[in-house]
Amino acid sequence: MLSQPEYSKEKKVGEGTYAVVYLGTKRSSNRRIAIKEIKTSGFKDGLDMSAIREVKYLQEMQHVNVIELVDVFMAQNNLNLVLEFLPADLEMVIKDTSILFTQADIKSWLLMTLRGVHHCHRNFILHRDLKPNNLLLSPDGQLKIADFGLARNMGSPQEFLTSNVVTRWYRAPELLFGARHYTGAVDMWSVGVIFAELMLRIPYLPGKDDIDQIDVTFRALGTPTDKDWPEISTFSAYNKIQIYPPPSREELRRRFIAATENALDLMSGMLLMNPHKRLDPIQCLTSEYFLELPEPTVPSELPTLKKNT
Amino acid sequence: MSGTFQTQIMLSRPYLTRAQIKRAQQNTIPDRRVYNQKRLSVFKLLCDMCVQFKFPRKTLETAMYFYQRYYLFNKFETELCYDVATSCLFLSCKQVETIKKITDVATLSLRLRNVQKLSPEVVDNCKKRIVQLELRILETCCFDYRVNNSVHIDDILVKIAKDLSLDREVAHLAWLIAFDALKLEILLMVPQHTIALAVLKVACELTEGTSWPNIRYSLFESDEPSVSEAYFDILNFFINVFDLSDLRNNLTENLRHIGIETFIELKKQAGLERGLKEPENILSDELLCGERDFTIRERRYVLTRKRINDERSSKHPYKREKV
Repeated sequence: MLSQPEYSKEKKVGEGTYAVVYLGTKRSSNRRIAIKEIKTSGFKDGLDMSAIREVKYLQEMQHVNVIELVDVFMAQNNLNLVLEFLPADLEMVIKDTSILFTQADIKSWLLMTLRGVHHCHRNFILHRDLKPNNLLLSPDGQLKIADFGLARNMGSPQEFLTSNVVTRWYRAPELLFGARHYTGAVDMWSVGVIFAELMLRIPYLPGKDDIDQIDVTFRALGTPTDKDWPEISTFSAYNKIQIYPPPSREELRRRFIAATENALDLMSGMLLMNPHKRLDPIQCLTSEYFLELPEPTVPSELPTLKKNT
Repeated sequence: MSGTFQTQIMLSRPYLTRAQIKRAQQNTIPDRRVYNQKRLSVFKLLCDMCVQFKFPRKTLETAMYFYQRYYLFNKFETELCYDVATSCLFLSCKQVETIKKITDVATLSLRLRNVQKLSPEVVDNCKKRIVQLELRILETCCFDYRVNNSVHIDDILVKIAKDLSLDREVAHLAWLIAFDALKLEILLMVPQHTIALAVLKVACELTEGTSWPNIRYSLFESDEPSVSEAYFDILNFFINVFDLSDLRNNLTENLRHIGIETFIELKKQAGLERGLKEPENILSDELLCGERDFTIRERRYVLTRKRINDERSSKHPYKREKV
């Protein structure tokens, strides 16, 4: 036992529904860290599920592209999660119009995202909330997947999962149809949408509400048919939707002017309607896109925000 | 000691040996007989709740682990134990993703306990206690999510049975036996897949014409002492209280001949009772002998000893503790 607290909370940097985030220091190593203090009072269903999931899934994961859970501690009657301090996220970079980035930068961010997702999936963990806002950037340029508040184990086949996951714009078609059984393919869809967003610098499929999301998604990518996705007609919502043709290759080239053929192949592979056919992380990581030039930018040389807090 | 220290680092030790458990309980359980009686009625309550909510067995299993673990480090009081149990079940729902609203859990628990007037006030008070206990339960488990996470006795036993090409009847019998195992302290001693191996072994030996294959337990990430610990615990349970077991009431027609004598016979054939090796330092083990101090300002929980050592060595570079 030691006589001085190991962690200091220095500055409040954010507040969410279930936690307050502080900036702090780990005294023994003088390391900068973020402390998530979980609010316990005021919640009628007790300890928030997100906090439980965050500890549960981050506890055993160690990967350069997944946020590190440094410590878990109780102070008075509050649960605190000590996390790596990561000052920026990909959304901030995408939105900051003063930052220019190249195809090599995009490739680097996508590569790090895919490596992180691959690590989650090979540990049988679904993230279920991938979006630029949850891809944090460390001062040395490494991208780290964060916010495991919606994560869960890949269930056993007979288990029912909730389809009400993933932030709307990044939601895969099977989730839009309310699927109760799904796989890592839902995360891959999100990565595909993020890839498109990196190239466009604006959200690719910005639905206004859940119904609109279905329309926006299929207008952009074509309504799936039972020819390429036989199970599709089992979803009750399928019969009520508008039929749009899929975009031609020409059309895709027009949308993503700077993208190479391999980049379009990879993106289209992640945005396949049929989740069984959608590319998995290994297929993506070994795709031609990562073999062709330009090479991905070295993380430490990636563009950063001008004003880092 | 309370107040002297502002921080404490605690290593999670999710499984303990029989003697270690006994030592911890000396601090918390004044009357073993009462505790055991209550444990059975708590089990019944949790069972009934799980049936009503249609929960899978893993929810019950995790709740029973939490409940027994809680009373290793917190004083046992008969008045509170049903609330503790209810809180354990509520938490276990979150742990295994069979989520239910706290009001539903509290109401059902009170109803099954025959609380006469279920006024909103009574339910609210129960909810408050559930929430208060929740964090304490997690703290007694050191927030260790490696256990009770993805491996549960009932489904891993089916997988192992398939792997060993055992008959469906054997797996079914093992599945029945495994239900009784949830009542035992073995949950605190060895992980679920080891218990699954032990119940499969018992089931094989109870089934005519089937014998337990001579396998290396390391193939299933276990070992002989752990499996034996569980195996003998289960045999002893049936030898002591077969008539009150759930197995007895659920035996299929062709297995009705199974009785106390059958288990006595198995134990005789198994030879000397053996199991986990008891460590020698139990009486100096601070986790077990000292009472847990929940008033320390900063209570940190880590999963590996390496973490503790790393921090110590970074402070005192020349004093490195042996792992």
